[in-house]
Amino acid sequence: MATEVATLLSFFWNGLVEGSLIALAGLGLTLLFGLLNFINIAYGEYMAWAAYITLLATVGGLPFVGAILVGAVGGGLIAIAADRAIFQHFSNRSPVVLLVVSIGTSFILRNLIRVLVPSEFRTALYGVELLHVPNIAGVTILGNQVVVLILSVLILGGVFLLLNRTRIGIAMRAASNDTDLARLRGIDTNRLVIYVTVLGGFIAGIAGVMLGLESQVNPTMGFTFLIPVFAAVILGGIGDPLGAVIAGYALGIAQKLSLVIIPSEYTPAVALLLLIAGLLTRPDGIFGETTR
Amino acid sequence: MSVVSTILSPSLIATTLIFVIVWGMLAIGLNMHWGEAGLLNFAHAAFFAVGAYTSAILTTPPPESGGILEATRTIGFNFPIVVGMIGAVVVTAAIGVAIGATSIRLADDYLAIVTLAGAELIRLVIVNQGSLTAGTKPIKNIPRPLEGTFREVLGLGLPYSVYYVGISGLVLIGTLIMFRRLSDSPFGRVLNAIREDEDVPKALGRDTGRYKLKAFGLGAGVAGLAGALFAHSQNAIIASQFTASLTFIIWAAVIIGGSGSYVGALAGAAVILGIQAVLRVVPSTVPIIGGDLEVLRPIIVGILLIVVMYVRPQGMFGNKEQTLAGVKE
Repeated sequence: MATEVATLLSFFWNGLVEGSLIALAGLGLTLLFGLLNFINIAYGEYMAWAAYITLLATVGGLPFVGAILVGAVGGGLIAIAADRAIFQHFSNRSPVVLLVVSIGTSFILRNLIRVLVPSEFRTALYGVELLHVPNIAGVTILGNQVVVLILSVLILGGVFLLLNRTRIGIAMRAASNDTDLARLRGIDTNRLVIYVTVLGGFIAGIAGVMLGLESQVNPTMGFTFLIPVFAAVILGGIGDPLGAVIAGYALGIAQKLSLVIIPSEYTPAVALLLLIAGLLTRPDGIFGETTR
Repeated sequence: MSVVSTILSPSLIATTLIFVIVWGMLAIGLNMHWGEAGLLNFAHAAFFAVGAYTSAILTTPPPESGGILEATRTIGFNFPIVVGMIGAVVVTAAIGVAIGATSIRLADDYLAIVTLAGAELIRLVIVNQGSLTAGTKPIKNIPRPLEGTFREVLGLGLPYSVYYVGISGLVLIGTLIMFRRLSDSPFGRVLNAIREDEDVPKALGRDTGRYKLKAFGLGAGVAGLAGALFAHSQNAIIASQFTASLTFIIWAAVIIGGSGSYVGALAGAAVILGIQAVLRVVPSTVPIIGGDLEVLRPIIVGILLIVVMYVRPQGMFGNKEQTLAGVKE
């Protein structure tokens, strides 16, 4: 009996960590999605790029904490570079055009990693054990998981403070809600696009590094992680930061808890099925208040 | 001299042509979805995989328990190849309709995500149902149609792939004619109307959902046929040949060729494979473009896709007025 409880608890703990990753990546994506109004497939590449920048920074001798920051800033810079070089030229075109353009951007960014990163680092582990944590109640807890959880909560908290307590954050939410109305009220929405892009890329960057810390760093890591992230963004209601975070944690925990009844190979299917079920029953997101 | 003779070898040309035909078929199917009906299907590589696996499983015998490598697969039917191909079309079309049915009511970008998720589900099933699909291991010894006949009756000493170009070419031409006819039929016009503004055909009493489902099934069925053609051109297939990035490459083919045009879809596939063929010839000592093919092709395709969307959104063969579905400003 005690072992069963421990198994459940460890599923829950792993789900919490997985959920942190989905929630964090989902927060960045929903901010971008809410303001720019298109599905950006290249978002996964922002994550992978940041993970590689952090990897190369640690190889170059930077302490890991500093390297995380470098990677996250790198994610923001990649996002703004992609926006200025490519997406801004399509800003008055339909969301579908931008989606197709983001497919092209994603091809370029993902394969540039393969061109630029020396082959010995192309698939790699960070190889850092940041904390040592004893097992609690029979649950194996890895130090890196604790770091992922804490850092995610810190970033989430910081972003919500920004969105709710600062003028620029409130402007971001207003523009996400109704860009034209925000512009009428004197908000410089073009500058806001830049801020949101950098912030979204920065969050993607942190999420990418955390994802690498949880598993491994490889060029397709971000792309393959996109589906649960999109699921969280859509279930939470597009453009709704709190919704994306709650849906992200819910999906992560549901995936890991589902191990009780289904084999581990099929856990990713849980997020997919929840997404399909959610879209068919509540197309505006679980909280019903779509911002789009 | 050796480079030239390598490029001109019949088997290499034939292999490239088979790929053009298979990808062309995939692009035709996707053009039915996107070009005709404006449906954002991101499950195309999965439909392709379903077709390839269905035909391979139907036409190979269950593996004898001997080999360690193939030990997991237990199901196989050893039917004739024609049965495999028809089965591939039917099964893939049915799966296409099933995915379509869950999502056809959704707005554009939601449909894109649901189909992407559906494709991932299919991939999970293929990788994990080893008794049916051999999981991550290959399905081997897939039979080739009329192989003995060609060798014995014609006896020209050409590699088999040259004959296969003929077989698959006929299938392609038949498909192309059928889809162009469909496009000009009342069915095609209703699809185009749905693409432009779904409310209009609805107001005229058309059950637009049914039309969209039919389009989904037809396009998926062709992708399944392409999968069967691919499987029988290869000796073996393996799950890693059917990744989501293939979906995006076929999207690039349709857009570069010109969405709405079946000839364009074929031309787009040919352009992308042409880029690959040219890159293959460049010796690896040439800086930058002499590098890794698998890396360079997607970069060039990506740039081409963005440039086409900027300069000429109707692509090579698209009709500007007709094909600006969803491309309108």
